Amino acid sequence: MTAAALGQTQTITCPAPLLRIERVGVRYGNHWALRGVDLEIRRGELLAFIGPNGAGKSTLLKALLGLVPLAEGRIIRDGPAPRIGYVPQKLALDSTFPLTVEEFLAVNHPGPRAWFGGVSKKQGPAIMAALARLGAADLSRQVIGTLSGGQFQRVLLAAALLQEPELLLLDEPAASIDRRGSEELQLLLHDLHKKLGLTIIFVSHDLHFVSHLATRVGCLNQNFCGLGPPHEVLSEHSLTEAYGTAFVPGHLHFHAAE
Amino acid sequence: MSTFWSYDFMSYALISACILGPACALLGVFVTLRGMAFFSDALAHSAITGVALGFLVQEKFLVSVDPMLCVFIFSFALASLMAWLFRRSPLAPDTVIAFSFTGSVAFGVVVISMLGKYRLLDGILFGSIYANGPADIIKQAALAGLIVLVLVGWMRSYTLSTLSPEMAHVQGHRRAWLDYAFALLIAATVAVSLKMLGALLLSALIVIPPAAAKLISGSFRQMLVFSLCGGLLAASLGVFFSWHLNVPTGPCIVLTNVLLLTLCYGWKTITPHLQT
Repeated sequence: MTAAALGQTQTITCPAPLLRIERVGVRYGNHWALRGVDLEIRRGELLAFIGPNGAGKSTLLKALLGLVPLAEGRIIRDGPAPRIGYVPQKLALDSTFPLTVEEFLAVNHPGPRAWFGGVSKKQGPAIMAALARLGAADLSRQVIGTLSGGQFQRVLLAAALLQEPELLLLDEPAASIDRRGSEELQLLLHDLHKKLGLTIIFVSHDLHFVSHLATRVGCLNQNFCGLGPPHEVLSEHSLTEAYGTAFVPGHLHFHAAE
Repeated sequence: MSTFWSYDFMSYALISACILGPACALLGVFVTLRGMAFFSDALAHSAITGVALGFLVQEKFLVSVDPMLCVFIFSFALASLMAWLFRRSPLAPDTVIAFSFTGSVAFGVVVISMLGKYRLLDGILFGSIYANGPADIIKQAALAGLIVLVLVGWMRSYTLSTLSPEMAHVQGHRRAWLDYAFALLIAATVAVSLKMLGALLLSALIVIPPAAAKLISGSFRQMLVFSLCGGLLAASLGVFFSWHLNVPTGPCIVLTNVLLLTLCYGWKTITPHLQT
């Protein structure tokens, strides 16, 4: 079989990647946060970025969102730009500010808004459907500042779902929730991935969360020092190399990858 | 009461209060949401320098300049400089505000003193609502219209870009333009409202009504409505109180606002006990 024929076969069996990152570098002043990063984001994958503090995980997420200028390289998409839903780690909101969940979601819904900050008739059903999908329909009238960590993550996810995304980006989704909340969030993300066919990329420090959820893991330290299936990248040897210190990940389960 | 209405300047003062009270309160909801109370206070104080520069141009170049225009230009320039320093300098935002504000006020006072107009400082600091005329009312109504147009028209963009600049960016809202438009609104509010309350007391009109509304609101929409009503009520009652007590209007409006805030705080504290 010729090389051209091999290429043709590959084109037929593998769908085109959603995004291709080629030799991407991001610099803050004289410091390179990322340098020479290559990555193909495959449609329908659950990709996790891990790595030590300052490794460039959040910067890569920001580069994908177009929030930081690229000092070098490029991000290529085949076809139209994918619709993106973004879930931040937190909101810049004073916890005593009386913004309700449905008001926050109305701000995130692209439909026409009601006069003076309310929820319009068109927005109401879409907001309730997004909350119901995440098992949070009862939270609609609650003030954002009174939510628990897990409830807050559901609301942020609902806001991202209102964009009808193809690509969902999450920054440290498990950072401020307890073990039980983290397990519930894993199930929710798994469910969204399966039922809506979303491509999901998330940044996390929680290796248990990553091992349960991701189908592929990228370990960053300015560049990828490991990229592949979770059971390979989350090995003691690979993590010790990435974090630069003796690293015992403990007992990890690799549910999604299995 | 008949005496109150028989003076034109009192009617103008009341109309001004009814326009600027709610307009500043609406602006204040977003000032509070964006955590910019200190920023707006600094701009209000820097109005002294705007007026001083107006005097300087008048004296040196013998050109008549509208002080309101000078205040607007200086406030906007200072707001833009501070916004630039927030992004580019290693200093914390509150430090940037503190030195910009005190530095500009000090400069303004020196210029006013050198021009021999120190006695005018009192009017700049505390305002004089009774000096209002029909032309001022038109400017104030135009300002109120601009505030409503920008903040109600772009309410979604302003709310989202404050809560999460990243989410706003993904959804196509451009924060830099929103920030400049907001700085422009604050600068215009300072310039137009200076005559009513003066540089020292102006930020009370912006910050106190939303702070009071926040205490008794269960939603953002309620906060907007309560803030507008509170701004209207406190400003108009302040004018009445000042007439009846024969005390300066600016401080009286501020004290009425503080009374409103105290009542709202009392209500918030008492309500849970009444329910049990």
